[in-house]
Amino acid sequence: MTRRMSLIPLFLISAAAVGYEIALTRYFAVAKWSEYGYWVISIVMVGFALSGVSIALVRDRAVRHGPALLRVLPVLLILSAAAGYHATTANPFNPLQLQNAATYLPQLGNIALYYAVLLPFFFLTGLYISLMFVLNEDRVARVYGFDLTGAGFGAAVVLGLMSLLHPFQLVPALLVLLAASSLFGPRPLRMALASLVALAASEAVLLGDGQAAYNDFKAIYAPLHVPDARQVAEVRSPRGLYALLDDFTERVDTDVSNNAGLLGVPGPPQSLGLYRDGNRIAALPKPGGLSAAYAPAALDALPYQLLPGASVLLGGASGGFRVQQALELGAAHVDALEPDPVLLDALRHGIGPVPALQPDPRVRLLPDSPLAMSRAGRRYGLIDLSGDFLEAAEANGAAFTAEAIAGYVRALTPGGLVSIPVSIREFPVYAVRVLATVRDALRDAGVADPAASVVVYRSAWNLRILVGREPWTAERIAAVKRFAADRSFDVSYFPGMDVAAARADIYNDLPAVNFESGEVASGAGSEDAVADEAGPVLRGEPSESQRAFNLRPITLDRPSYYAILRLEHLPTILRRLEILPQAEVGQLVNLAVLAQAVVIALLVLAVPLFAPRVAGQRDGRPPVLRPVIYFASLGLGFLFIEIFLIEKASLYLNDRTSAFALVLTGMLVFSGLGSLLADRVRHLGIALAAAVTVGWCALALLGLEPFLLATIGLPWLARAAIVVLLVAPVSLALGLPFPLGLARAGTAGGGFLPWAWGLNGAFSVVATPLANLIAVQAGFDRLLLAAALLYAVTFLAYPSIRKTLQWQPSPTH
Amino acid sequence: MAAIPHTLTRRAVLSAAATAPFAAHAAPGAWTRDAYMEAMRRSGRPVDVTEAQFQAIQARKPGAIRRIESYLKERLGSADPAVIKAFQEVPREYYHYVYPERRSQGGVAYEDDPKPWALGYGSALSDYLGQAYMTQVCKPQPGDVTLEIGTGSGFQSSLLSRIVKQSYSIEIIEPLGQAVSKVFAPLGYDNVQTRVGDGYFGWPEVRGGFDVIIVTCAAQYAPPELFKQLKPGGRMLIPIGQPFKRGQLLYVYTKDEDGKVRSRKDVGVFFIPMTGAMMNRPHPAGSGTDAPASATPAALPAEAPAKP
Repeated sequence: MTRRMSLIPLFLISAAAVGYEIALTRYFAVAKWSEYGYWVISIVMVGFALSGVSIALVRDRAVRHGPALLRVLPVLLILSAAAGYHATTANPFNPLQLQNAATYLPQLGNIALYYAVLLPFFFLTGLYISLMFVLNEDRVARVYGFDLTGAGFGAAVVLGLMSLLHPFQLVPALLVLLAASSLFGPRPLRMALASLVALAASEAVLLGDGQAAYNDFKAIYAPLHVPDARQVAEVRSPRGLYALLDDFTERVDTDVSNNAGLLGVPGPPQSLGLYRDGNRIAALPKPGGLSAAYAPAALDALPYQLLPGASVLLGGASGGFRVQQALELGAAHVDALEPDPVLLDALRHGIGPVPALQPDPRVRLLPDSPLAMSRAGRRYGLIDLSGDFLEAAEANGAAFTAEAIAGYVRALTPGGLVSIPVSIREFPVYAVRVLATVRDALRDAGVADPAASVVVYRSAWNLRILVGREPWTAERIAAVKRFAADRSFDVSYFPGMDVAAARADIYNDLPAVNFESGEVASGAGSEDAVADEAGPVLRGEPSESQRAFNLRPITLDRPSYYAILRLEHLPTILRRLEILPQAEVGQLVNLAVLAQAVVIALLVLAVPLFAPRVAGQRDGRPPVLRPVIYFASLGLGFLFIEIFLIEKASLYLNDRTSAFALVLTGMLVFSGLGSLLADRVRHLGIALAAAVTVGWCALALLGLEPFLLATIGLPWLARAAIVVLLVAPVSLALGLPFPLGLARAGTAGGGFLPWAWGLNGAFSVVATPLANLIAVQAGFDRLLLAAALLYAVTFLAYPSIRKTLQWQPSPTH
Repeated sequence: MAAIPHTLTRRAVLSAAATAPFAAHAAPGAWTRDAYMEAMRRSGRPVDVTEAQFQAIQARKPGAIRRIESYLKERLGSADPAVIKAFQEVPREYYHYVYPERRSQGGVAYEDDPKPWALGYGSALSDYLGQAYMTQVCKPQPGDVTLEIGTGSGFQSSLLSRIVKQSYSIEIIEPLGQAVSKVFAPLGYDNVQTRVGDGYFGWPEVRGGFDVIIVTCAAQYAPPELFKQLKPGGRMLIPIGQPFKRGQLLYVYTKDEDGKVRSRKDVGVFFIPMTGAMMNRPHPAGSGTDAPASATPAALPAEAPAKP
């Protein structure tokens, strides 16, 4: 067995560990809700941090028994991975109960159980990697290189497996990688046999007693369990698990007038339902035709009536129903954008019993984002975002940013309109935020008086904002009022509106709520909480809701649609936890993970205080400050850049999943390659790495967004190649500092090296939730700026050659 | 999809005839441990409780009723005596049951800290304060006919059945609907009819339509077919939000005499009425008065349809 060969098990175990991590997040996304999968990443890093600290504390013994431990660890890893997954799937955690002060406590216990059952695997993985570092102190960079490239390989493998396997079967498949790692160690035959037995036993339990299932409160559960429900098609993809259901609950999701019967218009037709990871994303037509006879009664029909024969850009085809609706309402031409590839494929070629959309010379089906299409040079009379577009894919959020809306306004033909949907089912205040965004967009598009170019109308559940470049005319406003009155809809804003007078005749009472005091407007009259605020917001004046909510416009820098909570008012938020929309809860989960991560990081930091030898302390002066800053900054900086890149790539590729896959794999592989170069560049490496990283960040801050927007119309493959080219140089540089620092740490003696590794892990735990917090609250540019500063600090914290002694071991080491 | 009727099946009628029902409302004081266990057995959910356990549940009941009363007064200005009486009559412990596990949770009924309880099959028994609120907002009257889409535990329909003439309920999940259809007869609630099927189309066989419709299944919009079955002057309620929130937002629809539908978003389960709110608002042009629109807004009934 050559020394080079001895790193192959590390490569495989790192691959399996990252695969396991991604598979667990997939399990949570499908069986529970995706925001809770987030805890998994935290558990991983906690395991790594604890293992680093453990090895640091017993370094000498670890060196003595290390080789033996490395031989048995693969077997233990298989068993702990299988047991951890089995126990995870059997955990009755119900995230919904976290939102109720009377029911949350048992759920905290269930979360603790997740930690208990998943930590062993990640602790043992961390132990394996730490031991590899400790036993190979003379080639730390190479060890790190194998670790990172293995992780990149694992990410690629699991993403590939997602196209073949059900998400619940990913973990059983990944156990094979762990078993394979036994083939390359010493005494391969004996250990391979032991691994094989462990593998067989684990597979028997996981496949024979599978507990993974949809939470019974997910959207798919009820439709799947009504009489005669059938799943008629399934698509497995890294984007998610798509299930097409035929059951009696499925209908076209459109907001039709409550007076549809009076109008003589039929209700929305029955359909099939397409679900992704258990969440409903579209209605698809049943075999036998696509009818949109309900169209004249639908809330979104108004702009079509105002603009007969318009050329329409439709964001989201809604399974083809919105295309049909547009044609039914007289559109002359429809460019329908369907960014979800499975949905697009279903429209083009059919899926299961669903026929393909009938070819029509008036209709083009395209995969692009509305943001990209509005910049492609073509002009439209109507740019219409579908009501289900926002929720259909994470990347679709970009369509609601000020930059995107400004692009739509510029792409309008004279007299044209943009139609933007907002759900007011839970919080009407989202409408106020979108109006603030529209104001910014209109000013950006050169409209001097935004308040004159907007009309807002609504049903009880949904609202539409109509935006033009020109001021609204009296005739058009009259047509809006007629449309609304016929259908029991309400007009919440038009230029020159007398809000008080309008309150006298409201069909759908929408009370104003004081989130802080817990009071609701009551009395004899009707209310329109949106009408009260629309005018002031469009004129740029302060409005009532701004005190309680963060209503800054949605921008490409701060693109989160569901981010209206003012986290500085946390006690108020927690007091109102029960009324928060589910989508806002993710932010609170993030805060909880961050708080827990900070505690863990502090614990790891405190290790040298009670075990001074860990830090290589020799003369009473602990030389730990610089390395602490160094490794903590690295832990934070790497992930800050990663999260920044994933966001920008998902905007550019119009797809979060491929962005995640490309950036994660690219960063791991290129930084792995970078670390392999560390030995060659030695002391110059850190200066090189810092210069490249800081320089890259500066360039990205100045020019990345304009560059991406200018080239967003390129074919997908070209854009993907550009993403890789963007990721490569910075990742190569990012691979250098860690092994260089570890190499120094290795020479410091004691348990310094594994502690430093654990420290990096601990700050990586902090990094993910902290990056999310910064991005949501301050924006992605600030996040990148923070990353650049961290790498500058890293450079300063790395001892110069003259000061090497500061990190040097005692000569006796 | 053909609906599957459950109540008034031959078997139910025969068994109802064979044994006198343990109708708590019909014979106050008759609700004993033996009556409870017998009713549970007859509903296909046998349970064994000790006298002490049973008495512990009953001992908590007056406290829960007091909480309901004070909650309704705080939120709606008054507690409808009919709603309170219905809560007194319907034994809530009878509805605490985890169906997939065939496990009674009756011992936790009338909890001090009201909360929703999972029933299995994606359904939950809502907390009793929320249910009391919703029942009062429905404004059920003795002669009313009500329809519930999403039977769940059957508690809401049972409550309504104590007030109104006839209570109908449709459950979409088959195993839950089948099991819950058996819970009404043992209590003697012969004015409840349930079935399993598609709630979208309502219960068109009921002539004359409904005075109250409650849609507790997840809905993306108010089903137009149900408006056709809502009587003029009727109320339709759609709770919104995930079932484990302690209360849910309510959409309250009313149908005018001319058939036009109006809605009100009721957030009273979360927020208390803002006393004097109308004083601070500009009045509609031409209303001709500067006097407060309501001197006692907090005391107004929650159902305050908009003026036409």
